[in-house]
Amino acid sequence: MTTHANPAAAHADRADHGEHAHPNYIKVWGVLVILLVVSVCGPMLGIQAVTIITAFGIAIVKAYLVAKNFMHLNIERRFVVYLLLTMLAFLILLFGGVSPDVMRHAGRNWENTAAQEEIDRALAAAGGKPVQKAAEPAAPQAASAAENYKGVCVPCHGEKGDGNGAAAVALQPKPANFADPAFWQTRDKAHIEKVIREGGPAVGKSPLMAPFGGRFSAQEISALADYLLTFKK
Amino acid sequence: MQKPIATTRSMAGLPTGRLAVWWVIASEIVIFGGLLVSYIMHRLGHPEWGGYASHTNTWAGAFNTLVLLSSSLAAVLAHQAAEHGDGKKAASLLRLTCLGGLLFLCVKGFEWSHEIHQGFVLSTNGFWSFYYTAAGLHALHVIAGMIIMLVVSADAAKGRELQRVELIGIYWHFVDIVWIFLFPLLYIAK
Repeated sequence: MTTHANPAAAHADRADHGEHAHPNYIKVWGVLVILLVVSVCGPMLGIQAVTIITAFGIAIVKAYLVAKNFMHLNIERRFVVYLLLTMLAFLILLFGGVSPDVMRHAGRNWENTAAQEEIDRALAAAGGKPVQKAAEPAAPQAASAAENYKGVCVPCHGEKGDGNGAAAVALQPKPANFADPAFWQTRDKAHIEKVIREGGPAVGKSPLMAPFGGRFSAQEISALADYLLTFKK
Repeated sequence: MQKPIATTRSMAGLPTGRLAVWWVIASEIVIFGGLLVSYIMHRLGHPEWGGYASHTNTWAGAFNTLVLLSSSLAAVLAHQAAEHGDGKKAASLLRLTCLGGLLFLCVKGFEWSHEIHQGFVLSTNGFWSFYYTAAGLHALHVIAGMIIMLVVSADAAKGRELQRVELIGIYWHFVDIVWIFLFPLLYIAK
């Protein structure tokens, strides 16, 4: 333990960095003000890339200059810098973990309808460009059979249609294997459409095959059945 | 009077007081950072927020950035004066820094009352919630910094506890850095 009766002694703690020389603070301030002017003027050009660089790139430079010259992090103990950087790393972790759920409004098995409706409503109210968004309600209808298969069937029937989806392990009886030629010997397209529409029990099969008639239109079910036929070898 | 132990000993190679300030700032990074990171992801997921942000006053935000940068300059000059043992000069520079904080809060008050008059309040929508929460939390830090600075400057004027001038300065610069990021996030990105 050392004692410090006055600040000069406190500064002796930085002895390993030599005498604490003060940078020209007014000059640093001048640079900061110039950067501020650039960060306000840059976005006025209305070019998105310029806005991002001038507004956020310059904010990072300004923060660096303040931390280095005003907070004296350049002559501070290194562990302090590492401590602060660790905190920043936590923030990156937070962003990485949470942003997919916040930035997207739908996923494979979930949909944030409230967020999507709010966006549509607000953009329409702003008289902005609902065009791009208005196209979206129609999108599920227009979703390709491949997308529908991926969204609904893959968990059990697997990417390759061989009945080896991630959930298949826990299922008894096992999901149908569309890649098995024997499977297709006893079934035609109409049969497949019926199962998709009404579920497994409709043809005397497992209730684990749920009905999707409420979710997909007849057109989509037909396209989905055609898609399943492509797994046939 | 007995000196507080924080000002008389050294831990981990730096005075305990300064270590404590860094520790405070480390936790502040997560507090403000968590808020800003949440704001950024919501902003990216909500294209309509750009329209809301266009109601913020860029010039007021830019002026306040200038005010805080300049008050930071005063704070660091106070630190320099304290190191030279000039408590009186350090105290007046700290009070000048406080004045910067006060000017900052006045501009904020003008901005907020204008926006509230226009009907933009905390509960209007997600953007305004973040706007008032982030800027409000920041303003609370400005107020806290000003109060501490007045206490420190009262001592410094008598030549006492000059090492604290640097400590409150470090905190103030941090509050400045937070604003440096708040400004483009809330005012420029439209």
